[in-house]
Amino acid sequence: MNRVITINLNGVAYQLEESGYEQLRAYLDHAARSLEGNPDKDEILADIEQAIADKFRALLGAYKTVVSTKEVAEVITQMGPVQGAGGAAPEATPAAAGGKPADSAQAASDAGTSRPPRRLYKINDGAMFAGVCNGLSAYLNIDVSFIRIGFVLLTIFWGTGALVYLVLAFILPEARTPEEKAAASGAAATTEEFIRRAKAGYYEGMKHFNDRDARREWKRKFRQEMRDWKHGFRRQMAGNAAQWQQHWAPAGGPPSDHWASVGLTLTILTWTRLLCLALAFYAAFSLVTHGAVFGLALPTDIPVWLGIVGIFFVYHFLTWPLKMMHRSIRHAHWGYRRLAGPLDGIVWLAFLVVMVWTADHYSPAFHTWLQDLPPSIHRGMAEVKEWMARR
Amino acid sequence: MDFNEKFAPITKGLLEFLVLKIIAGDKVYVPDILQQLSATEFATQEGTLYPLLSKMRREQLVDYEWKESESGPPRKYYELTAKGRAQLRETMEFWQQINETVKSLGKK
Repeated sequence: MNRVITINLNGVAYQLEESGYEQLRAYLDHAARSLEGNPDKDEILADIEQAIADKFRALLGAYKTVVSTKEVAEVITQMGPVQGAGGAAPEATPAAAGGKPADSAQAASDAGTSRPPRRLYKINDGAMFAGVCNGLSAYLNIDVSFIRIGFVLLTIFWGTGALVYLVLAFILPEARTPEEKAAASGAAATTEEFIRRAKAGYYEGMKHFNDRDARREWKRKFRQEMRDWKHGFRRQMAGNAAQWQQHWAPAGGPPSDHWASVGLTLTILTWTRLLCLALAFYAAFSLVTHGAVFGLALPTDIPVWLGIVGIFFVYHFLTWPLKMMHRSIRHAHWGYRRLAGPLDGIVWLAFLVVMVWTADHYSPAFHTWLQDLPPSIHRGMAEVKEWMARR
Repeated sequence: MDFNEKFAPITKGLLEFLVLKIIAGDKVYVPDILQQLSATEFATQEGTLYPLLSKMRREQLVDYEWKESESGPPRKYYELTAKGRAQLRETMEFWQQINETVKSLGKK
């Protein structure tokens, strides 16, 4: 099932599938751009629209009232790219050649100024720890797995990955609202861009109607379309944001109205997590004191601190579903607790401080590593600088 | 060797001449022109033809009139102006010359 958008081509309404509409919009925008400066621009665009309308009409019948995306693409291919003054008038080459690069430069600078302002956030949906990799992945538009692998490699070879991660985890704000989540990947601004272009198309369309009624009709349809589109987009974003929670909600038992059973589930979840935490603590402790976890010895070439990081990696990995369940139940019954985020952060920070203190106190290896930390950070920075300079 | 690519400037340059020739035959609207060209080496598309026609109209080589059609909105039918006919005649003569030049060169 696809959404359908009604468009007005020279006074006749056609219904297009949504992505087909976007393709057509892009084609006409591009046509308008390449005809920039042509005195007959409006007339040519009207002719082009009429030709498209004729082709659409040939495709439609009594039992087929919507033009599919595929058909729109075929029609666009048939139409061919609209060539500006330079393309069709070989004798006007000097002027046209002068005009063309300026046009594309203009288009490029247009694209540059309206480039979505992305923001770096932590994104908790589907995160393993704090969502730093997720946020980076959205920001850089790279698959999250590659970012994670990058961090792990950085940690193994230079020992800086975990540190960078921790720093980012504390510094970055968390994307909570759908708008923030969209801003993380620049989607919201793309919406702005879309609206801007649609408006440009709207004024372009207005020029073709001399008749007042036709103009009013075009205005009304355009407004309704934009409203529908905006609502659809909002709904979709909210849906995406809620997806994880919905996904986990049934796993925490059917959403029950009895406070007692919710409380019981929460208590069990909390105790399970606490137990896991205690186990992780014990594992880290035994790793530091005996160099082994539950009888599993750490290979000699891996430093102790990396073992500790590994343990907490495993801990988070195992308790992550529990965390999500917990969160979804809490959301369902108490709404959103604004304090929960910072509180979790403080607890986590305190925990980290205790960990480092314990490790420093009981493990000579960790102690010397901690002493070496500033110089090694320095080295890491120098390496990064060198790498940047080489590029 | 790709003829299409190599002779693209020539086909492009000749397109205006051929469009003049087609319009000289009868009053036509754009789908007619495209259809007549479609089977030839000069097959083209609306995206190219409409800007070309508007340029030719600005140069007063062609003009159009609106005609009602039985199926759908009125259509633009193009016809040659006096200036267009004169240009067509000149271009035809020039084309004959080129043809003869091509044939005669290199021949003993």
